[in-house]
Amino acid sequence: MGEKADVWQGTLALMVLKTLDTLGPLHGYGIARRIEQTSGDLLAVNYGTLYPALLKLEQEGYISSEWGLSNNNRKAKYYKLTRVGRKQLEREARDWEQTTAILARFLTPGEEPS
Amino acid sequence: MRRLRVWILRFVGMFGKEQRERELAAEIESHLQLHIEDNLRAGMSAVEARRQALVKLGGVEPTKEIYRERRGLPLLETLLQDLRYGFRALRKNPGFTAIAVITLALGIGANTAVFSMVNALLLHPYNFRDLDRLVRVWEDRGIDEGWDARWIAPQDAEDLRSGAQAFEGFTTYQEKSFNLTVGEGVQPVLGFRVSASFFGLLGINPAMGRTFAAAEEQPGADRVAIVSHGFWQRRFAGDPGLLGKTIQLNQGNYTVVGIMPQGFSYPVPAELWIPLALTPQEKADRSNLSLQALGRLRDGVNVAQAGAALEGIARRLQQEYPVTNAGRTASVLQLRKELYLYTLPMFGLLQAAAGFVLLLACANFANLLFARIIGRQKEVAVRTALGADRPRLARLFITEMLLLSSAAGMVAILVSLWSVKLLRTSISEDWTKWVPGWNGIQADRTALAFAILLAAAVGVLSGVATALHAGRVDPYATLKETGRGSMLGGKGKMRSALVVAQVTFALILLVCAGITAEGFVRLAKVYQGFEPANVLHLEISLPDKSYSDNTKVTGFYQQLLRVSAALPGARSAALVSNSPASNVDNETTFFTIEGRPALKASEASAADLQISSPDYFSTLRIRLVAGREYSDADNANAARVAVISRSMAAHFWPAGDELGQRIKLGAADSKEPWMTVVGVVEDVRQNWWNSSERPAIYEPFLQAPQRGMVFLLRTSANPTNQVSAMRDVVRQIDPQVAMRGVSTMDAEIADSIAIVRIMGVLMAVFGCVSLLLSSVGVYGVLAESVARRTPEIGIRLALGAEPRDVLKLVLGQALKLTGIGLAIGVPIAFAVNRAMAGFIFGVVSMSPAILAGFTALLLLVALVAGYVPARRAMRVDPMVALRYE
Repeated sequence: MGEKADVWQGTLALMVLKTLDTLGPLHGYGIARRIEQTSGDLLAVNYGTLYPALLKLEQEGYISSEWGLSNNNRKAKYYKLTRVGRKQLEREARDWEQTTAILARFLTPGEEPS
Repeated sequence: MRRLRVWILRFVGMFGKEQRERELAAEIESHLQLHIEDNLRAGMSAVEARRQALVKLGGVEPTKEIYRERRGLPLLETLLQDLRYGFRALRKNPGFTAIAVITLALGIGANTAVFSMVNALLLHPYNFRDLDRLVRVWEDRGIDEGWDARWIAPQDAEDLRSGAQAFEGFTTYQEKSFNLTVGEGVQPVLGFRVSASFFGLLGINPAMGRTFAAAEEQPGADRVAIVSHGFWQRRFAGDPGLLGKTIQLNQGNYTVVGIMPQGFSYPVPAELWIPLALTPQEKADRSNLSLQALGRLRDGVNVAQAGAALEGIARRLQQEYPVTNAGRTASVLQLRKELYLYTLPMFGLLQAAAGFVLLLACANFANLLFARIIGRQKEVAVRTALGADRPRLARLFITEMLLLSSAAGMVAILVSLWSVKLLRTSISEDWTKWVPGWNGIQADRTALAFAILLAAAVGVLSGVATALHAGRVDPYATLKETGRGSMLGGKGKMRSALVVAQVTFALILLVCAGITAEGFVRLAKVYQGFEPANVLHLEISLPDKSYSDNTKVTGFYQQLLRVSAALPGARSAALVSNSPASNVDNETTFFTIEGRPALKASEASAADLQISSPDYFSTLRIRLVAGREYSDADNANAARVAVISRSMAAHFWPAGDELGQRIKLGAADSKEPWMTVVGVVEDVRQNWWNSSERPAIYEPFLQAPQRGMVFLLRTSANPTNQVSAMRDVVRQIDPQVAMRGVSTMDAEIADSIAIVRIMGVLMAVFGCVSLLLSSVGVYGVLAESVARRTPEIGIRLALGAEPRDVLKLVLGQALKLTGIGLAIGVPIAFAVNRAMAGFIFGVVSMSPAILAGFTALLLLVALVAGYVPARRAMRVDPMVALRYE
């Protein structure tokens, strides 16, 4: 369970960073909805797991938070990408693309060059 | 870097909980509200909208919980929680905590204190370079000369040094008393004449100035002195200009060329050193064992090899110089060991006793722990049922035990610091200055580390034991039944075995303490044959320059005796060469009896030689057994006479015809004059370590005068009142003469056996501690057993048993456990006693009274310890007990 959770946490972190990069400052609920919309049912189990991930990113300094008002005048905690976070996103995205590319080549049958 | 930031933030996250919790709650609430609004917009009912939002989130509390784990440091937080819990558990049971802490602290503290003492006195008596390779070298004349008589003849020393090839360095020295002139008066100073190699051999450099040069070993070139740090501070108030100054010693001028570092005094308690400048005749002397010698072993040579080499040379000297060296052998001994030949076994005994106390303490602690584990079965069961996992429970118990043992460790450190301090300060400096390393006694760092480690080990072990036990608790079974009676069979036996072991240990310790204490009392009574009360004691040493011949010496002392005896409050005054309880052995001498066949030197008769004034016997109230004491009429012009001790008379003249016989000092061919035995006096035990009365010859002072004498004054009241009067008397006769060693005979005796007394007191303390610990053990087991058997006792009472029967039941158990312990302990105690009497000086063999006394004492303690729970058992109300079931 531990390893799986780590992978999930890593994936989730990347998704959070990408979401904030695309949409700008956003509250937890918004991030959760956005990830759910783009990833289908990945977050279907529960939104709660998002919060420790947000805390971790904040502790690592990739995002920062502050309280603000939502569209319908509700108080909410807004998260936004920091400069370090943006760099981290680029690095993570590149790594991820590389990994997936390698894995894709590896998993595709019959096309090995001789 | 980033990781560090995370850890710091998480650490910070452990604090300011309220604020963080509020913020977390607000964030989750706002999340839910946002979600509910969306759901309402999607057309759900208010109730359904909230329910869906909650489901989607995964519950408020679980979300908070996983969030919290990320926020702080869960491991550390549990630890703190465990600590808090441990504190609470220990505080809730103050009795258990106090007894456990005291038990462990006593065990550990006793060991640290004794170890500190042993370490300082045995392992580090001197701070010399490479102490292990320093050895004492001396010649043995084949007679028992006492433990401090290790002398060597100058020419023999030279032959041994050059012949043996075993030494990297070799040095000789000789004690010398000095009178230091300060202003108008004089002060006595204990000094030594030492070879130039002396300081280099020890590896000690002067703090200021230099050591002696080889050229200063020539008579005439020897007017230089090196002084101790204490001498410089006390007598010259630390005068920075002392180096290079001239001081007056025995009315001669000496230039101070060196000041030794603080703490250096060898041989103790030396304050001053001058060069050992021997004339060529003195150097060539083989007949007088006038020097002491130290050697530094060459690399790779051990003591046994050096001993063998010296032995060979000594044999050669015996053959080459039969007149002087017949029967003389050479010996070598590690310097470190020299001082403690007699006390080493005592230290061993103390260390063993301390070890026993620790064993007892551990047995007691284990016992307490078992009682506690049994008492906590329910708690463990409840915790397990509520979902505490085993590692968590184990951590909890280990934390608690560590807390307990570190508290014990801290108390133990306090106990040892305190007892080491008490030990150091409880003996007067007059005595301890003779004990090298005494001032180095301190709560040793190694010993303290040892205490901490010991405490930690006990904590972890007992925690693990508790945890293992807790792991076996079946919550279902334990909660279902009343909690009593389960799994007690095995544990009960174990605890009983521990109590038996405790009683056994306690008996052995008590017996050891008893025979040591009795031995000590006997040592204190050793000084029989004279009355020490109301006697002033002081030493005088006349400077050799102004008292160059016997007439001057006897003139001074005759006047001193006459004037002081006439002081108001004085009864009589006397001189003696070595007073009893001086902790210095008498000079031992060969002697020859007229008309008896000449003996070889190695077989010649030997006796202690004392020189005294006529009033010595009456002043110390030494009883005259036969004949007469000598008088002032037995002077230099009269026929030589001697008084002998009772054991000497009995040994050499068993027929009782000693009076009128003639003896002379030395072997048959000696040139000493014949002395007529005129009287026999009661034996006087010279020092506590003399295992039996030694034959003694007393010579009249007027016929054998010497410059250094002990002066004794019997007074009608407190002798210390006479000190200033005596000072005046001496000053009036000769202002250049100093008094030293001013004391009373009572104090001399007390000081002389101080070390033995300390041993006795420590052993007695250990004995009491062991008694206490074992009674706590017996009480603990019985109390627990009564509590466990309450229902059984209830049934018995309900079925018609009398309270008396219950009392018998409980006390019977107490007696059974104690009885088994005693049965095992008695033979061991006998064996230990035999072993101790064999190698520890002054220990008496066990009298049946001691054994019977302690056996009875332990039985009594067991009965008292058993009575308290027994009374509780007798009062058991059958109805309550049965309902409880």
